[in-house]
Amino acid sequence: MTTQTESNCVNCPVHNAAHLKKLGVNMSDYDYLVALAGNPNTGKSTVFNSLTGLKQHTGNWPGKTVTRAEGGFEYDNSKFKIIDLPGTYSLLSTSKDEEVARNFILFGQPDVTVIVVDATRLERNLNLTLQVLEITDNAVLCLNLMDEAERNNVEVDARTLSKMLGIPVVPTSARTKEGIDNLLRSIKEVATGEYVCKPRKVKKMNRKYQRAVDTLVEDLNKNFTNLKNPRWIAMRLLEGDQSIINALEDGSLTAETEKTISENNKFVENR
Amino acid sequence: MNNVKEIVNKANVLRWELGENFHDSLIEAIYKEAETISKETVKFKGENYSFSLDRTIDKYVTSRLYGFPIMLILLALVFWITIIGANYPSQFLSTLLLDKLHPVLKDFALGVGAPFWLVGLLIDGGYLATVWVIAVMLPPMAIFFPLYTLLEDFGYLPRVAFNMDRLFKKVGAHGKQALTMSMGFGCNAAGVVAARVIDSPRERLIAIITNNFSLCNGRWPTQILIASIFVGALVPAQLAGIVSALAVVSVALLGVFLSLAVSWGLSRTVLQGEVSSFSLELPPYRPPRILQTIYTSLIDRTLIVLWRAVIFAFPAGLVIWSVANITIGGEPLASYIINFFDPVGILIGLNGIILLGFVIAIPANEIVIPTILMLTVLFTGSAAGHENGVLFELDSLKDTEQLLRLGGWTLLTAVNVMLFSLIHNPCSTTIYTIYKETGSLKWTLLSTFLPVGMGLMLTFFVAQIWRIFSG
Amino acid sequence: MNSPVILLLLGVLILALPVFLFHPKKGLIALLKRYNRDAEKEKIENALKHIYDCEYREHYCSLESIAGNLGVTSDKSSSIFDDLEKRNLALTGNEGIKLTAEGRDYALRLVRIHRLWERYLADETGVDPDQWHIDAEEKEHDLVDSANEIAEKIGNPVVDPHGDPIPDKDGQIFKLEGKSPLDLERGEIAKIVHIEDEPDSIYAQLMAQGLYKGMQIQIVEKNDGKIVFSADGKEVVLASSFANNLTVAPITAKEEIKESFQTLDLLEENQEAEVVGFSGRIRGQQKRRLMDLGIIPGTKIKALLKSPFNDPVAYLIRGTTIALRKDQSEGIFIKYA
Ligand SMILES: Nc1nc2c(ncn2[C@@H]2O[C@H](COP(=O)(O)OP(=O)(O)O)[C@@H](O)[C@H]2O)c(=O)[nH]1
Repeated sequence: MTTQTESNCVNCPVHNAAHLKKLGVNMSDYDYLVALAGNPNTGKSTVFNSLTGLKQHTGNWPGKTVTRAEGGFEYDNSKFKIIDLPGTYSLLSTSKDEEVARNFILFGQPDVTVIVVDATRLERNLNLTLQVLEITDNAVLCLNLMDEAERNNVEVDARTLSKMLGIPVVPTSARTKEGIDNLLRSIKEVATGEYVCKPRKVKKMNRKYQRAVDTLVEDLNKNFTNLKNPRWIAMRLLEGDQSIINALEDGSLTAETEKTISENNKFVENR
Repeated sequence: MNNVKEIVNKANVLRWELGENFHDSLIEAIYKEAETISKETVKFKGENYSFSLDRTIDKYVTSRLYGFPIMLILLALVFWITIIGANYPSQFLSTLLLDKLHPVLKDFALGVGAPFWLVGLLIDGGYLATVWVIAVMLPPMAIFFPLYTLLEDFGYLPRVAFNMDRLFKKVGAHGKQALTMSMGFGCNAAGVVAARVIDSPRERLIAIITNNFSLCNGRWPTQILIASIFVGALVPAQLAGIVSALAVVSVALLGVFLSLAVSWGLSRTVLQGEVSSFSLELPPYRPPRILQTIYTSLIDRTLIVLWRAVIFAFPAGLVIWSVANITIGGEPLASYIINFFDPVGILIGLNGIILLGFVIAIPANEIVIPTILMLTVLFTGSAAGHENGVLFELDSLKDTEQLLRLGGWTLLTAVNVMLFSLIHNPCSTTIYTIYKETGSLKWTLLSTFLPVGMGLMLTFFVAQIWRIFSG
Repeated sequence: MNSPVILLLLGVLILALPVFLFHPKKGLIALLKRYNRDAEKEKIENALKHIYDCEYREHYCSLESIAGNLGVTSDKSSSIFDDLEKRNLALTGNEGIKLTAEGRDYALRLVRIHRLWERYLADETGVDPDQWHIDAEEKEHDLVDSANEIAEKIGNPVVDPHGDPIPDKDGQIFKLEGKSPLDLERGEIAKIVHIEDEPDSIYAQLMAQGLYKGMQIQIVEKNDGKIVFSADGKEVVLASSFANNLTVAPITAKEEIKESFQTLDLLEENQEAEVVGFSGRIRGQQKRRLMDLGIIPGTKIKALLKSPFNDPVAYLIRGTTIALRKDQSEGIFIKYA
């Protein structure tokens, strides 16, 4: 197992090395791990390309990025590795793509998750955003396609949005590379902990379900210390997610403990 | 850990008590939240111009009256540009790599004292097959893929899926299969990769398995050559062009029909139990970025497919040269194989040479005809070819016809070659791609052997019925 | 021998061969498989399930009822029972035939596979509802080892598509609460919580009426021999013997009561409406996908364009144009804005 020794970063968080290896991420040679999530056709690949300088195929076609791409970039003397997750509408279903994206954010514990959204269709994109914020605290919202929004007389108040979501919101037009610099800065700020995210959690659930979640959260907290996102785990348990049950059993969800996870933990897509 | 078990049990009790609507309730709550947030942060200040523009475009491209004509015209345009545009570079490449460079290389190799067999194997075999594939394959793909990608980038392709979905639903498939099929007319391997846009597992498998029935770029030349020689000859000279073109188009249409029929069959039998769900988003139209598109589609599609083809073509070249040039008891190896295949070949209206041609040209359909020509020369001892045991194509149709007739070809042979070229196993590049995309040996084998079986069947029946009627 | 006519006939024969071999029901392979399958084992397993079912429903179970259920003679059924007794799976008490602890374990395993498989078919595949049970009947004898795998893949469900509880890995099972619709008063509103899938003929009828689990019904009329209720805006008439195969739970006042709604496929171009809910035919993967796309109760939805064949139709849903097939839009309830 490769460890962090090659890294020149002193106060970087300890990555869950075993997990990342399982997820097929080469551990060496970067300081921070960034995941890129977003609905299909919101310009995710374009953002990925402008961050990394790679030329991945983009297309006006929902559901084109199926396999996971990865790349790297340097900013402000830190090395970032960025993983392009499959574009999905949600993280709650059983489809293969969603499982890959969901498990990566949960088990891979990226330092920052960048959520690319379409500024002209913010409402529907917030569905995925809020789900991501249930899993991870460290996120940046990339408000892409701003040029299209402007052209179509859609105005988005990024500052209020940032306040309401509790994470940085960066307007961009990835096609013309506008705003990418700001995006880089925000990624760095969240990664280093300069910006402390206070993500919004979903509240308006039907009362009886909310109670069920609360009971489980209580039990989880009693039995495990260090559980990062008990609410999400409780919700997944209520949906019978086997990868969560397995992860609880082998202790790989209780952060920092670098336990090796059992071989049959099948959350990686084996293509 | 026992606690986990307890918690899981508790969760299950809760699930039973709450009924099955937890998921729904969660999604509803999230959307409510999203609504609240977007109400506070998003302002619509006037008309959404592109939305109304999109609707206007959509009115035409999905209309009952214009929808299909527009689609056919665009597709025809793409093919036309591809065929016309590919002609010159193809000729240029083949003159350069085959006619000019090949003898130079060979002389050079012999000059530095390389043994004859090695030169033959590497240069007459491997090199020739590889550059052959490049010359035939590269130009059309370098034109077809960017054009196709431009349509994709613009946002037109999902509309085609929208228009065609009804038809595909009838056979248990997804409207987007219309796109993987038309992609398959360019290259089946690319068509298989394109099936990624189909997000329902069952429909995606159907699209992958049936893609081979789209007559690909590598097979069009075979069809055209055979049709012009044998079918065109049936009618007066001034009609020959049209009739042979019609013959080729009917073969392609037969492919489309088979594709649908097999989809129907698969969705009702082996694939019945696979996961299935439908959704189709119609994205906004966006002006495509032409340069970037050309660049990425060259890198992403053309070169990758070409590279895979080359990897397979080189060893095929080695095999082709070997069977033609290695002799056992004074007879080339090929003779034995051809004699072995001959009874079956004759039975299904082909012959041993043609079957062997199809077998060793599995790596690339482009070299089926050259291989058959070479073997025919070898076997009939005709002097029409250049050197014995080397791939070639004749410049004039008349010469080709003479050679083939000498090899025992009749109209029946021609028809069956056209049919079998449509309905046989995918080329090795495609087979490999299918394996990569599905990750399953089972589906790869099915996609390989189903069409061979169907092709053998069909040619067999055509041959028998033909023979009955021709007495 | 080489005459094309003979060859042609031969070819047809060869072509017919795979059909003869592989036909899923009547083909030679299917027949062989059925023949080879341990017929005895299957009978025993079916008997176990029957006894379990009796216990679950608190019916009296006897040799006769076993014979009736399995469709065998009473001689045969008593020999099956002897076998069960010998293996210490069942015994006779004063309340008829009962399962031993081991027998119950065995039965629960079978039940688990059966219900899991039904759930899998219902949620993930396009297999028709009346096919679920039949398919599961075949699978339950084969899939013993892969039950957990299936369960994990579809999120360890606790209920099957008919509303029956699925026993968990350790054989724990919940109990279904509810009553027959015949016990409801006129005007009373209830929700279908379970639809019995045996016998097939009755089940197929119920499915044909469009009934599904979770459907709300209101009793319109009840007289001897039949019952009339309204469901999803339609009136359904059932003979009592059929209605007895339904289990319903009266709805508590708090839960929202569905009126009769229109379905989305009725929306004309450029008309707008609000989504109210899903019919039970939209389920599993399909339903989750639609919800992910933003189709949830309260969503405004507008029909934008029809495809040339009128199916699918593109709708404007939360700012995005999404095409839905008719069989999907038929399962989405709306009310006009
Ligand atoms: N006008 C505009 N178009 C963009 C922008 N970002 C991406 N696009 C276009 O949106 C389409 C989808 O982009 P892509 O990166 O493939 O999206 P993905 O499916 O999320 O990976 C492509 O046609 C891009 O050219 C942007 O900021 N402005």
